[in-house]
Amino acid sequence: MIVAKLIDTTLCIGCKACEVACQEWNDQEYTLGTFGGTYQTMPDLEHNFWNLIKFNEMERDGGTSWLMSKYQCMHCADAGCLAACPAPGAIVARANGTIDFVHENCIGCGYCITGCPFDVPRLSPASKKVYKCSLCSDRTAVGLEPACIKTCPTNCLTFGARDELVRIAEARSEELKADGFADAGVYNPQGVGGTNVLYVLKHASEPEAYGLPKDPQIPWTVSLWKGPMKWLGTLAFWGTILGAFFHFVIYGPQDPAKHGHPEKEDAPSDPS
Amino acid sequence: MHRVTHPDEIRIPRFDAYERVMHWMSALSFGYATLTGLAIWSPKLYWMAAVLGGGFHIRGTHPWSGIVFAVMIGVMFRRWAAGMKLDADDRVWLTRLHKYATHDHGALPPSGRFNAGQKMLFWSQVATTVLLFATGVVLWFPESMPRALRLASIALHPLAAIGSISSILVHIYMGTAAVPQSMRAMLRGYVVPEWARFHHPKWYKAWRASTAQKGPV
Repeated sequence: MIVAKLIDTTLCIGCKACEVACQEWNDQEYTLGTFGGTYQTMPDLEHNFWNLIKFNEMERDGGTSWLMSKYQCMHCADAGCLAACPAPGAIVARANGTIDFVHENCIGCGYCITGCPFDVPRLSPASKKVYKCSLCSDRTAVGLEPACIKTCPTNCLTFGARDELVRIAEARSEELKADGFADAGVYNPQGVGGTNVLYVLKHASEPEAYGLPKDPQIPWTVSLWKGPMKWLGTLAFWGTILGAFFHFVIYGPQDPAKHGHPEKEDAPSDPS
Repeated sequence: MHRVTHPDEIRIPRFDAYERVMHWMSALSFGYATLTGLAIWSPKLYWMAAVLGGGFHIRGTHPWSGIVFAVMIGVMFRRWAAGMKLDADDRVWLTRLHKYATHDHGALPPSGRFNAGQKMLFWSQVATTVLLFATGVVLWFPESMPRALRLASIALHPLAAIGSISSILVHIYMGTAAVPQSMRAMLRGYVVPEWARFHHPKWYKAWRASTAQKGPV
């Protein structure tokens, strides 16, 4: 069964309890944020801060709309980090859809940072390895819901079977449409095969206003590197090695005695 | 008693110690960068990471071996670039590469200290090293480089490496099995007159002229 998180942004009150729960459960040291003139705890995700409520402001119809969004790993069905990772076993897609980093196998190359279309993984300067939300795989493995879900006071966050959550999200966006939010919808980008973190957005046609990319994809250069370029390299290396070997088998080494002298001139005389 | 020197006992200096050291420093750093790079390039070759100290270790050392290699290519460029320009004979030589490959040496214009194939290897290595260095620095520091550069480098770094490694494979074949005695030239620094006259006639002539000026050895 694929599990998912549903984030109904219309119900988020910006209490940041999920941030605290995430830090507590994952035993992360609290890092004092930079004050950027907003209510946001930190300007950005950190290697030891995996869940950030973004306070996005949007000018609309002569007023200001305050859009909260939960910024974290999206647990993509087609994960860009996993596609880019060169270390076998460092990033795993678990049977329940969780994209998990296995730090003992991580080599710290940071390719996942480049491969992720949501800009989520962060390199730790201390351990030189990469960290992000694990969907609390250590909790879900024993039947508990992730820490952020557990603590959310408004039921903005729901955890459960993905198919069911998609249905709930769609029903909720219909409800919002009926309430006059014509642009309401579900954020479940198909460019990465859908995500296991789903959003209900009031302004679904403008996900950028929430800090979410409009059409996230696995970068084509990553696909090129992991796909056709492997064939190109294999062809080039084996072609060269076999070409050289059979060249030797057919023609043998260059031999001045056998292959003629380009300049038939005097032989070197005895200089002594 | 008058002793007659056999022609093969005459040693023509081909690479001095400076050139030999810069060549083998390049070769060793290239070899290490290639093995560690291939391990990161393909999961099928990742076992080489274990042999060389583990993935985490080689992720740290690979960029440094690349730095050593790039510096050595820089040293090589300073030493050799002037002599690597293609002359008129070289251009004809390149159009007759198939004659060279099939040992039809009579059909080739004479080569100088380096033949046109060696010159092309030199320039292709300079080009791929510039590309490998530029993209390598970008990949080294993922968190401080713009994403567009990192995305380009993820594809360009291995592409340049495929070109570089393939041409070095040819170079290794030429320097070992295909052209006997060339390995000795790079290890010990000298060649014999017969070798020089056959492979690098113009260079050989210049050596003859210079020794004739200096008088008997």
